[in-house]
Amino acid sequence: MAELDEIIHQPLRLRIMAALNALPAGALGLEFARLKKLTGATDGNLGAHIETLARAGYVTIDKAFVGKKPQTTVTATATGRGAFARHVASLQEIIAGAGK
Amino acid sequence: MSKMDARIDAKQAASALSDIASIARRVRQSTIYRLASMMLVLWGGVSCVGYLLTYLSPPTAYYTWIAVYIVGIGGSIVIVTIQRRQSGIRMLDLRMSTAAALFIAFGLFTCLLGHFGPRELSTFWPIYFMLAYVLVGLWTGLAFVVIGLSIAALTLIGYFFVGDWFDLWMAFVNGGGLILGGLWMRRD
Repeated sequence: MAELDEIIHQPLRLRIMAALNALPAGALGLEFARLKKLTGATDGNLGAHIETLARAGYVTIDKAFVGKKPQTTVTATATGRGAFARHVASLQEIIAGAGK
Repeated sequence: MSKMDARIDAKQAASALSDIASIARRVRQSTIYRLASMMLVLWGGVSCVGYLLTYLSPPTAYYTWIAVYIVGIGGSIVIVTIQRRQSGIRMLDLRMSTAAALFIAFGLFTCLLGHFGPRELSTFWPIYFMLAYVLVGLWTGLAFVVIGLSIAALTLIGYFFVGDWFDLWMAFVNGGGLILGGLWMRRD
């Protein structure tokens, strides 16, 4: 039976994980501003969902300064990539099951 | 891992997968746009300087443009290297590098066969590179097409109508156009 990940299944968190997983493993991740644009989220909403993913161990959050400007970079962890891959496989299983 | 029962139907699952695919496409496009915007700003800057120096000192144009290409190519290699480290995506593989080399070689042969003078050379190369931009844009995004066609059109206007001000025209049209195009793509 397909088992969906309840952390990832939320629509905005799904989009966040999709964006992070579009980059190869080992890439530096996506800046907060870029993630916001890609997912269409507001600042507060995006921040809250990123924190949820970080608490689950699916992403890491790195805060640094580029000159005087603070920059937050979000990167998918190996755990997060695995969870996302399983979630996608479950979605595909649901579709395949409906076709039978 | 937190799991839940599959309480979604196939339609909802398909919608989620479609969302995932759409985001992945946007990430890839934005990565290409980021790289392209840095390249446009770089080449816009060096071209602008090259045309201004050519306008101010025509006899040294040959050396000016050698320096322009050295700085431009060197800067491009740095940009591609940094981009690859940050995104992990390899934008230029052996096939693309070979395609770029062939593209430039065909351009050189065309210039030789056509016996182009300085004005023709200054017109041909920007239009030739803008052709590449437009062709790439047919697959990667509208911004490339708009930038490519706009600069090509303005270059042709300069060639036919601007007279002795041509190099100055090109400094702003080609150099400035590439910089503005690069900054516009950065917003995307």
